[in-house]
Amino acid sequence: MHSKLIYVIFATVLLIAGILVAIFLAESVPNGAGLAHAQFNGMRVGGNGVARLEHIGTLAFAFQALLLLLIVCLAALGVAEERRSKGFWAYMGGTLLFSLFVWWQMYSNHQAFLETGVTSYFMGFPVATAWQVYGTWLAAIPLIVLYSVGFRKFIFTDEDEEKFEQLLEQIAKKSEQ
Amino acid sequence: MEAYRQEIIIGAVIIYMVFCIFTGLWAMRRTKNSSDFFVAGRGLGPVVVSLALFSSTLSGFGFVGGPGLVYSIGVSSFWMIVISSTGYALGFFLVAKRIRMIADVRNCISLPDVLAARYNSEAVRFLIAVTIVLGVMGYLATQILAMAVVMQAILSGTAMFADIGLVTCVVVSSAVLIFYCVTGGIIASVYTDVVQGAIMMIAGVLILLTAMSVFDGGMQEATSIILADDGEAMMPFGAAGIMASLGWFFVFGLGLAGQPHLVTKMMMNRSISDNRIILPMSLFGYVMAALLWVSIGVIMRAAVIDGVIEPLALPDDAASFFLSIFTNPLLAGIVFAGLFAAIMSTSDAFLNIGAAAIIHDIPKAIRGKSIQNELFWARVVTVILAVVAASFALYSHFQDATLVAILGAFGWATFAASIFPVLAIGLNWKGATALGAIAAIVSALLINFIVQLSGIVLPYGILGGLVAFIVSLSLFIGVSLVTKKPELDADMQAVLNI
Repeated sequence: MHSKLIYVIFATVLLIAGILVAIFLAESVPNGAGLAHAQFNGMRVGGNGVARLEHIGTLAFAFQALLLLLIVCLAALGVAEERRSKGFWAYMGGTLLFSLFVWWQMYSNHQAFLETGVTSYFMGFPVATAWQVYGTWLAAIPLIVLYSVGFRKFIFTDEDEEKFEQLLEQIAKKSEQ
Repeated sequence: MEAYRQEIIIGAVIIYMVFCIFTGLWAMRRTKNSSDFFVAGRGLGPVVVSLALFSSTLSGFGFVGGPGLVYSIGVSSFWMIVISSTGYALGFFLVAKRIRMIADVRNCISLPDVLAARYNSEAVRFLIAVTIVLGVMGYLATQILAMAVVMQAILSGTAMFADIGLVTCVVVSSAVLIFYCVTGGIIASVYTDVVQGAIMMIAGVLILLTAMSVFDGGMQEATSIILADDGEAMMPFGAAGIMASLGWFFVFGLGLAGQPHLVTKMMMNRSISDNRIILPMSLFGYVMAALLWVSIGVIMRAAVIDGVIEPLALPDDAASFFLSIFTNPLLAGIVFAGLFAAIMSTSDAFLNIGAAAIIHDIPKAIRGKSIQNELFWARVVTVILAVVAASFALYSHFQDATLVAILGAFGWATFAASIFPVLAIGLNWKGATALGAIAAIVSALLINFIVQLSGIVLPYGILGGLVAFIVSLSLFIGVSLVTKKPELDADMQAVLNI
């Protein structure tokens, strides 16, 4: 079961590990993980955003893109192989594309802010942050919908329930004997 | 009403604690055996499980540490919240169905029970049980300390209790926690969780509304003040940077399905089909409660930068200062009760799984059977665990913070790295082997321990927990692929086929 998918998951994890190693080896910058605020104790600032992403921006983008792929593959692993139809994969592919789109919008809007220093706002947050707050959260909603609405089709069918009841009956009979 | 602020807050907290005590007494009558004590006889309805699940996820860290993190590092910490939809989805896709099935088939009462059955390995049971005990001590100590500090802050504002000591507050708050956990076990825990969850949701929404009225321009004015001070703090990766943010996304997102106090609750529902309702309900509750985290953090950082209020002595003061400055006393009372609810709902879950590991799993792994009269010993060990954790908390506060800090390393990230691969992938891949599981658990524990003890600072804010997680995932799959495919027992084979 799941023979091919586990290899895809394994390859994705190894690629993520490889990117992490590359980030470890990349030239570091003083504000890579932030700096103390000059005025307020306990507060930290990011400082020069361009410098922070100069050596690792592309690697970090790829890291997250692979993580989104990993999430979709792991969710698919939770669905029995025989129910992973073409329609199922199309849906999961769409979910992945949606997640990648949100990630791209967040990243590119952040880049645009770094270049221009100006941003518009959406529902209380700068646009790039709004993609993070609302977009990232919404990006997994298709998975929730598939689980809740498609529960009887993909997760636990009537046939599954019947098989499980039979298994419990067999175990009960054995223990009586 | 303002003149009675402290009295109203204390009243709300006392009402909540009295409720917990009565729930413990009520649940005691329904707790007949260890299965009732640890997994509520697997008979809980979807609303109860949903509320218990999300309220246990959002501990005192979410109500105190969360706003403090936004105050300190800006948007970086939002990643821990926005990942909730992915985290819950993966937890249900990968764990909810099969953990419930294995619990039924093998009459399991704990997570190590389930994993021992899956891998047919007492070594896996032992390692997971030890991981849980170590993690529980760290979590419990910090939660009890947080509870006592908040109680002291509330009571010291009144004339009668102005000089109350921290030790007294630890004793009082732990006594309430111990009472309802010992008398009613997990039944008391989950039913108090229901009320705790409801209070947390109400608190989250009311705080958001209050926060939006602090600045005339609402949330947008607050975020633009932060942006003008430091653009990065209000951009998606915050002050902590892109790798810290994405690391949290990874560890909190995937890691939710590896948290023992959460996945154990997936064993307690009456019917597997209820999972389709539990998932969206848990997520909804979590999001409502987490509004507090975002809104208090943003408003307090903006208010300090804008000179509306004085800078905070500590970032973790953000929530209590917000409540004392910007909210009316009734709302402050509800939120403080919600804060105790958040801390207690996580603590009771940890007490429960810790007791199960000690009296059920470790003896079973070592001598092949659990101890006699499990229900009695579960109650005794629950008391001992809470007392030891409270002692750790006080020792840490007054003498040396190292001990709790080390145990604290066995927090979310260690559970995520050591349990997620073994449980979430292992329940869905027949090729997973006991050797792969052992390699994953040991590597996760070692890496987290080494990073914590050596104080290594990784470049670009990369988390030690992220490294541990990726290594354990790689080892789990890699070692399983190269070791002999296990022969599963017939019932496990049948469960993994469904």
